[in-house]
Amino acid sequence: MWWKILGVVLMLYTIIAGMLIPLSPATAYIDANKTDTGTRLEMTVYGYNTHYTQADDLRVWLKRDTTGYALCANEIKPISDNKISVAFDLPGRVSYFEGATDFSLVVDSGTKDGYSVLPSAVSINQLPGNIQLAESCAINSLNQRAGITFPFRNILEESIRSLYFHVPLWFAMMLLMLISVIYSIVYLSSNNLLYSVRAAAYARVGVLFGILGLITGAIWAKHTWGAYWSWDVKQNTAAVAVLIYMAYFVVRDSFDDLDKQARISSVYNIFAFASLIPLLFVIPRLADSLHPGNGGNPALGSNDLDNTMRMVFYPGVIAMMLIGAWMSNLLWRINWLRLKRLSNF
Amino acid sequence: MQLVHDIFVLLRKEAILEWRQKYAIGGILLYVLSTVFVVYIAFVRVDAKTWNVLFWIIMLFASINAVVKSFVQENSRRQLYFYTLAHPTAIILSKILYNTLLLGLISILTFVAMSFFTQNMVKDAGLFALILFLGSLGFSIAFTFIAAIAAKANNSATLMAIMGFPVVIPILLTLVKLSANALRIIQDTAYWRDISILLAIDVILLTLVIILFPYLWRD
Repeated sequence: MWWKILGVVLMLYTIIAGMLIPLSPATAYIDANKTDTGTRLEMTVYGYNTHYTQADDLRVWLKRDTTGYALCANEIKPISDNKISVAFDLPGRVSYFEGATDFSLVVDSGTKDGYSVLPSAVSINQLPGNIQLAESCAINSLNQRAGITFPFRNILEESIRSLYFHVPLWFAMMLLMLISVIYSIVYLSSNNLLYSVRAAAYARVGVLFGILGLITGAIWAKHTWGAYWSWDVKQNTAAVAVLIYMAYFVVRDSFDDLDKQARISSVYNIFAFASLIPLLFVIPRLADSLHPGNGGNPALGSNDLDNTMRMVFYPGVIAMMLIGAWMSNLLWRINWLRLKRLSNF
Repeated sequence: MQLVHDIFVLLRKEAILEWRQKYAIGGILLYVLSTVFVVYIAFVRVDAKTWNVLFWIIMLFASINAVVKSFVQENSRRQLYFYTLAHPTAIILSKILYNTLLLGLISILTFVAMSFFTQNMVKDAGLFALILFLGSLGFSIAFTFIAAIAAKANNSATLMAIMGFPVVIPILLTLVKLSANALRIIQDTAYWRDISILLAIDVILLTLVIILFPYLWRD
């Protein structure tokens, strides 16, 4: 009983915290990308969730990506909460070497929003000429934002919240499939029809979670990769995994004799699970993929999850697993009662 | 030793049965030839990448057609008789071995037919031969077991396709990638990793087949 309540509470917490906690104020993009030394660089900086007009201490720098060398903005003018106009009078020399150097944009907008960095925002081309390196304008006393927020990431933006629902769905599916296979093994060694009914119920809820995982993944992919279905290896193998279990249900339905149905579907369930493992965990790692965790992309590493996200993500995983177990529990009870009533007639 | 002896006796039985009803194997070989022919008429020109994919798709369909009859051709009474004579492990292993040989033959025929209609696209013959063997083995293990399951139901041909395709996809994807290596479409020096994965999948499936088959045949 307690675990059902825990599941609901954690699920509510995940939905409320996952949807309501705002993204941290950040520099989203700027309207400049390339310039030469010795020119005046004017740009408009667009912020997300920012409050530039209310900032008590608005400062902007251009910082060289590899070193601590930085330049201060000469003119800063807030236009609106999400827009500032910034101008840099670039010196004649910003690098010892000629050619392009990448600079990040650092914006500190006071105690309310804190600072944010837009990596590799501008590429400054060092022109030739015997000029002294301009003095670095030190970045100091940066303000930290107050309050709880999720990190802002370019491309991901608000879709970062999908993490709390898409990933737990797959974790929960794997757990349900594992329980289903264990019940199939128990059925084969005990010949008790109850375990076969349980195995089928867990697989059915697992497939439901798999389909939901595919749908949430497709929606997330539309935002980040540009299409609902990009024939990515992870998407394909996940779809095949769902197909395998669809076949399991077809096998179950194609037998009238209950014992034969239970025995043969249990055998297929174990066999299918064995080919599910390479499908989901080996094949995607060998091919190029856009999905995190494959083809050298990180997943769930320290760069992808900050502590605030962990506080929502881990409860989300547990909640999804508990709810899945509860749904399967209800399903096998219903099916078992139906089966018993059937055998009474 | 008894097991090995039984396997070889059963293997001989399979071969004799096949030889007596020549239409079965003749039908499969003709199936391969006509599929290759139809595919080339439709494509006219085929580059290495398409060749690779076509080869494995033809192999997949030919395999499923060749293996589906493994358990259907013998009626249940005759099967019961076999099961009293030999251990179920010997029966399934002999079927897998026989189907591996059959699929090996089909793959060589597909290769010869496809090379005849265009040209030999294979650059690394040794690797390709190894892939054909591993592919025949993998298809044979997966499809023979699925055929054993499907034979228990009435609509076995449909069930065979529904159950067989998803299960065989990990093997098929690895095969296509490996054979792309043999055709030099991609240059991957670490292809031994793929081969070991293929071997691992084969070994896991074979182990499961040996464990699970005794549960399957009892009625």
